[in-house]
Amino acid sequence: MAIIETKQLVKTFGGLTAVSGFEIYLDQGELIGLIGPNGAGKTTAFNMLTGVYQPCSGDIIFLNESVVGKKPYEITQKGIARTFQNIRLFKDLSVIDNVKIAYHQNVKYGVAAGIFGTKKFKQEEQEITNKAMELLKIFKLNHKADEYAKNMPYGEQRRLEIARALATQPKLILLDEPAAGMNPQETQALMELIRFIRDTFGLTVLLIEHDMSLVMNVCERIYVLDYGKIIAHGTPQEIKSNPKVIEAYLGEEVAI
Amino acid sequence: MAMNKKKLLTVAAAMAFGVAIQSLIWLGVLNAYYAQVLTTMSMFIILATSLNLINGITGQFSLGHAGFAAVGGYFSAIITTRIAPPLPGPIVFLVSLLVGGLVAALAGFLIGLPTLRLRGDYLAIATLGFGEIIRVLFVNWKFVGAAAGMWGIPGYTNFLWAYAIAVLTVLFIVNFMNSSHGRACVSIREDEIAAETMGINTTRYKVMAFTFGAFFAGVAGGIFAHLIRLLHPQSFTFMFSVEILLMVVLGGLGSITGSVAAAVLLTFLSEALRQFAELRMVIYSLMLIGIMLFRPQGLFGTKELSVDMLAGMKSKFKFSKN
Repeated sequence: MAIIETKQLVKTFGGLTAVSGFEIYLDQGELIGLIGPNGAGKTTAFNMLTGVYQPCSGDIIFLNESVVGKKPYEITQKGIARTFQNIRLFKDLSVIDNVKIAYHQNVKYGVAAGIFGTKKFKQEEQEITNKAMELLKIFKLNHKADEYAKNMPYGEQRRLEIARALATQPKLILLDEPAAGMNPQETQALMELIRFIRDTFGLTVLLIEHDMSLVMNVCERIYVLDYGKIIAHGTPQEIKSNPKVIEAYLGEEVAI
Repeated sequence: MAMNKKKLLTVAAAMAFGVAIQSLIWLGVLNAYYAQVLTTMSMFIILATSLNLINGITGQFSLGHAGFAAVGGYFSAIITTRIAPPLPGPIVFLVSLLVGGLVAALAGFLIGLPTLRLRGDYLAIATLGFGEIIRVLFVNWKFVGAAAGMWGIPGYTNFLWAYAIAVLTVLFIVNFMNSSHGRACVSIREDEIAAETMGINTTRYKVMAFTFGAFFAGVAGGIFAHLIRLLHPQSFTFMFSVEILLMVVLGGLGSITGSVAAAVLLTFLSEALRQFAELRMVIYSLMLIGIMLFRPQGLFGTKELSVDMLAGMKSKFKFSKN
């Protein structure tokens, strides 16, 4: 069963068509890659899926329900979480607060309970802290819980962003270039981590990536986007030998 | 209120301090001038911390605080002068403050709903405009004396009232900040798009912070009205908002203890400089420029001053001596 399916998504900015006829589907539990040259429209597609941009036309079906026109927070509450290409952590907050904020949508106590410090408030706060620490442990960030997010090395910030996205308890997670700026060892560790969270949390993963070794190794299917259009779709093996993809990345073959 | 022991002790100590000061005023050790200054100081603590909730914690730059204080001041004065229920003074006063605060909160809600879509400078200009609109409404409202102002307001405010309400305000805001709802507000300040993507209804929390802030500004306005015993629209100009904003920025955007410290400091500073007469504002401004040059993040930055922090500093000091 498809967890998410898009139909003929189009997004234009003035005269520029960033994405047109964007169609993908993801089955429950799949790990899918979205690749394409710079400026192909990958992040624009992500922004449409998460409600940051409204598509000009087309439809997005998530769990048998259209999510077009919904606000980003409503889409997150429905179960789509994401990370950002240019890390968007809450920099001046502690690592654990970053994760706690993502638990907010599941908090049951009201504003008054927080102000008066009721028993329910204390219990739930304790639960949130525990859950956040557990999550940080999975990402090996628990020893840095009280540090400012901005003071962490780049690779750890990327991991924290994934941890924070997971704290919203999503069904589908969109990772926008999770390996950007990582060295080969870090990328390797990240690949294992992505597989691991997919299996432990029962997630479906869609990731944008430029690191081909990561994409080819970890993804089960790959979509290739070029000039706003899906030009190819298939297993890593099929994609590697697809002439259209080679053309998009390396240019046309010239007959001499 | 269920609280942990440390917090309870701090609040009890703060209240005891207030009672002690008020006793000194009653005994005549502190004269009427000092009483007035201390009461004004407490009022500014309420105004600065509540503005900090909007500007510092939620990161929405508002310049309309004087407008909400005006709404609260006028409506509480309407209760005590125009309606004047035959009840004991303190009860009438409390009810009037509550009414003033609630009407101000309603105004905050109604103004916040459309304006909080704006960001940064645009929001500042819009709130400034609304603050002026509120003031002009009072200039033209005959029922409350229009441009001549509202006279004969009973002098219900004393130091202890203002101080106790200031303590409660600080407690309210600190508790709110430390709850998940407060964290949601902070996340909007840090990165609005990321907050929204983490499932936080940013509009809801922006309007909430704005409404709470307006409520406390209204209460402070009520305290002001019953302290000065005269309300005039000219008391609530744009400069009044700037004065409050100054305290928030000086103390550190996002630091409640910073706002409290700045409110105390600036109230005393502006009084202490009275002896320099015409040079007063020049010195005051120069000091502010100096502080902003050397500590642009404000006295406390976004940090909070706490007993733990002081203890931490002490132990560090000991360590360095060894």
